[in-house]
Amino acid sequence: MWQHKDLLGLERLTSAEIEHILRTAKPMKEILMRPVKKLPTLRGKAVFNLFYEASTRTRTSFETAAKVLGADTASIAVAQSSVSKGETLLDTARTLEAMRPDLVVVRHQASGAAEFLANHLKAGVINAGDGQHEHPTQALLDLFTMWEKLGDLAGKKVVIVGDVLHSRVARSNVWGLTKLGVEVVLIGPPTLLPDEMRVLGVECRHDLDRALPGADVVMALRLQLERQQAGLFPSLREYSRAYGLTSERLKRTGKPTLVMHPGPMNRGVEISSELANSPRAVIEEQVTNGVAVRMALIYLLTGGTAHVVD
Amino acid sequence: MSGLEGNLKSKIMDGDGMRRALTRIAHEIVEKNKGTEEVVLIGIRRRGVPLAERIREQIEAFEADALPLGILDITLYRDDLSMIAVQPVVHESNVPFSVEGKVVILVDDVLFTGRTARAALDATMDLGRPKKIQLAVLVDRGHRELPIRADYVGKNVPTSSREIISVCVQEIDGADEVLLLEMETDK
Amino acid sequence: MWWIKGATLVDPASGVKAQRDVLVQGENILAVSEHFSEQEVGALANGEKLETVNGEGKYLFPGLIDVHTHLREPGQEDKEDIASGAAAAVHGGFTTILAMANTTPPLDNRALVEFVLSQEQRAGLARVYPFGTVTKGMKGEELVEMLDLAEGGAIGFSDDGRNIQNSERFRLALEYAKLTGLPIVSHSEDVNLAQGGIMHQGEHAARLGLKGIPASAEAVMVARDLLLAAETGGNLHLAHISSKESVALIRAAKARGVKVSAEVNPHHLIFCDEDLTLTSTSLKVNPPLRSAADREALLEGLNDGTIDLIATDHAPHTWEEKARPLAEAPFGITGLETALAAVWQHLVVPGRLSIERLVQAWSTAPAQRFNLLGGSVKPGMPADLVLFDPNWRERIESETLYSKAQNTPFLGQELQGFPIWVWVGGNAVLQERRVVAR
Repeated sequence: MWQHKDLLGLERLTSAEIEHILRTAKPMKEILMRPVKKLPTLRGKAVFNLFYEASTRTRTSFETAAKVLGADTASIAVAQSSVSKGETLLDTARTLEAMRPDLVVVRHQASGAAEFLANHLKAGVINAGDGQHEHPTQALLDLFTMWEKLGDLAGKKVVIVGDVLHSRVARSNVWGLTKLGVEVVLIGPPTLLPDEMRVLGVECRHDLDRALPGADVVMALRLQLERQQAGLFPSLREYSRAYGLTSERLKRTGKPTLVMHPGPMNRGVEISSELANSPRAVIEEQVTNGVAVRMALIYLLTGGTAHVVD
Repeated sequence: MSGLEGNLKSKIMDGDGMRRALTRIAHEIVEKNKGTEEVVLIGIRRRGVPLAERIREQIEAFEADALPLGILDITLYRDDLSMIAVQPVVHESNVPFSVEGKVVILVDDVLFTGRTARAALDATMDLGRPKKIQLAVLVDRGHRELPIRADYVGKNVPTSSREIISVCVQEIDGADEVLLLEMETDK
Repeated sequence: MWWIKGATLVDPASGVKAQRDVLVQGENILAVSEHFSEQEVGALANGEKLETVNGEGKYLFPGLIDVHTHLREPGQEDKEDIASGAAAAVHGGFTTILAMANTTPPLDNRALVEFVLSQEQRAGLARVYPFGTVTKGMKGEELVEMLDLAEGGAIGFSDDGRNIQNSERFRLALEYAKLTGLPIVSHSEDVNLAQGGIMHQGEHAARLGLKGIPASAEAVMVARDLLLAAETGGNLHLAHISSKESVALIRAAKARGVKVSAEVNPHHLIFCDEDLTLTSTSLKVNPPLRSAADREALLEGLNDGTIDLIATDHAPHTWEEKARPLAEAPFGITGLETALAAVWQHLVVPGRLSIERLVQAWSTAPAQRFNLLGGSVKPGMPADLVLFDPNWRERIESETLYSKAQNTPFLGQELQGFPIWVWVGGNAVLQERRVVAR
């Protein structure tokens, strides 16, 4: 069923593979809900977290997932390692390989860094976010959350709003959702959602209010506040008026729509505080599901005496 | 053990035999525990689950109380995960009650090396601290690799290591029977 | 004396594409004829040792001239040096190469230009002519001592690798360079539009999640450069044109009578943005590989003369530098040893580029544009010649490359059509595919 050495992105997975991950995440979540959250499954396996970008939540999520499954974890953060002394990713990879990890979780600012690492490591690689390319585990936890709440996702409508251009979360979600038969609408200003994004094969629009009717899920993307200095939007006030999610605005869907956000949130910018606190928002459940999905992936990727190389 | 390829050597149990064995186990459970007050049943996926259900029906037929029944998937507790190339599919465990202070009867189809039972013991204890854990199996075929024995045995079947015991149940396999198969040598 | 017998001579300068015998004596071409007899040749040799090369079934070209190479010396000799670059040149059919000035330090004074020329003499393979920079330290501010550099042997001026963003400074450079009669080669790129970009901005970049470099990053500066060239009457050459917008701008400018020349790189004629993957660092180049439509426009421009010449933009990098994620690898493709074969196989064989145009754009036109000897096969001219075998097949392997670098997208691939003999000033520096030092 699962034949890959690595998880680099959702673009190259089949819908059956995605569903297999989601189905494996379900028992993992059940384990996570137990009083004793510890399994012997991956005893003696080593999972390395290699994070070139600071991300406490994703790193902690992977660490928790690995530890629940009984694996040993080590985290290498850039600031305290030789990476900041100019060591190349290749040399870092070779050094890591020498420590014989079973799985390396990597987050890197360059698109393709995870694939690069996967090509040079015998160990499995999980992409925890590469540049603007993909963030497959985030998308999988989003899919899992929707699947849990909505059941079969085929024919559902998901609106993703915000800085789509720079968002690896949006890219991975588009690949995953479309493979599961979801209608996806991307929303953002033309500077953050340029025409060429249509290549992803989904509808791209600039008017949020007109896209909302019928939406089963609305996902707000995190807005990097530096984008304002870069001239991509004029002010938080204007952005929020056009693209910020509020309870009032959400009435337009005409449904009990789920509200999602990959976090961390800028309350009052892409999502209003009261909406984020409302029962429609499943943002904290996304975090729990993130651990379950990562457990599933770590389990699937650390199997076997010899990795099956795809 | 079912689903393995092999040449049929003999039929060890038919439907009636199986029913009688499970009835006896049900009586033994009640007798040994002096009732069913603290007893809970947990079936080990896959074929332990329908067997546990039948034991529950039997017990409920002569004891008034309803008996809690859980399902345990022990995949994540297996000790051979690193020896197989592709990870086995993990299914959900569903134990919708507390095992704290209970007498847990683990139910499985075949007791062989004892490794599955060992995994089930670990999995059960991760759910809480039962008062006792007992093991019920339909067939004990010997060849233990761990110091584990069953409390309730439907039938003891001495086997050679080249033989396979295949337990079939109506719910999964479409018929109730236990078969003894000989492994194909030239495979 | 060399007697090159029976090859098909392709010499656009003299309008010849026919079977010819060529005799080389000393440094120069002695005679060209449809056929020489043993007696005629014997008489001309006059006792000198005669070496004969059978050219039947092969083409004889005037030595190819590559006006855009980065030889990295001084300062980055781990990537390439003048000796290895010159060896790579003759291995690929180039008898003359022009070396860009963005070395470390940049060639912004006469002493450094003379250093490059002395290294060329030491290597003794291809002729190497250095560019001087336009501005001191390539900072885009103060002009270099252009007169002094020209006296020292600079062939032109270029801050290639960077663009002079300040339009006034670029205008002044075009004006001042008139004193030398030498061209200014512009790397036309608006740095703000290109900032942080990895590949051509378009659907493929959007799919891969890579920041794009829009075609306008080039075209905006091409437009500026053309306007300034028209206004000043300066001597402008546009390097590595990559977009259809730039082609259209150049075509219109030429139609208005603006004196300008432009080059295209083989990789822009062969590949496009869709060939890039997240790990194909050997295809990461600046300007980036653009869309398939741009590629077509470039070929059209080359065929109708809007684009004057072909140049490799040979940009060697070490293996370690390219063994990185795409976003972090440096821009650049090597070309000297593969470009002729690649253009032959991808454009000439399918009939998209004629042999005459190939030779014209890679030998005749560069010689004329940069006032170089060579570019034609006539008696009395330096004997810079290439004997090209259209049937020679070769797999591109790091072991067989003379360049120190191997950042070519053709690595591991077999190409067909290679130079097998190359003469520089009458010396056979490539013999049966082997580089032979003088």
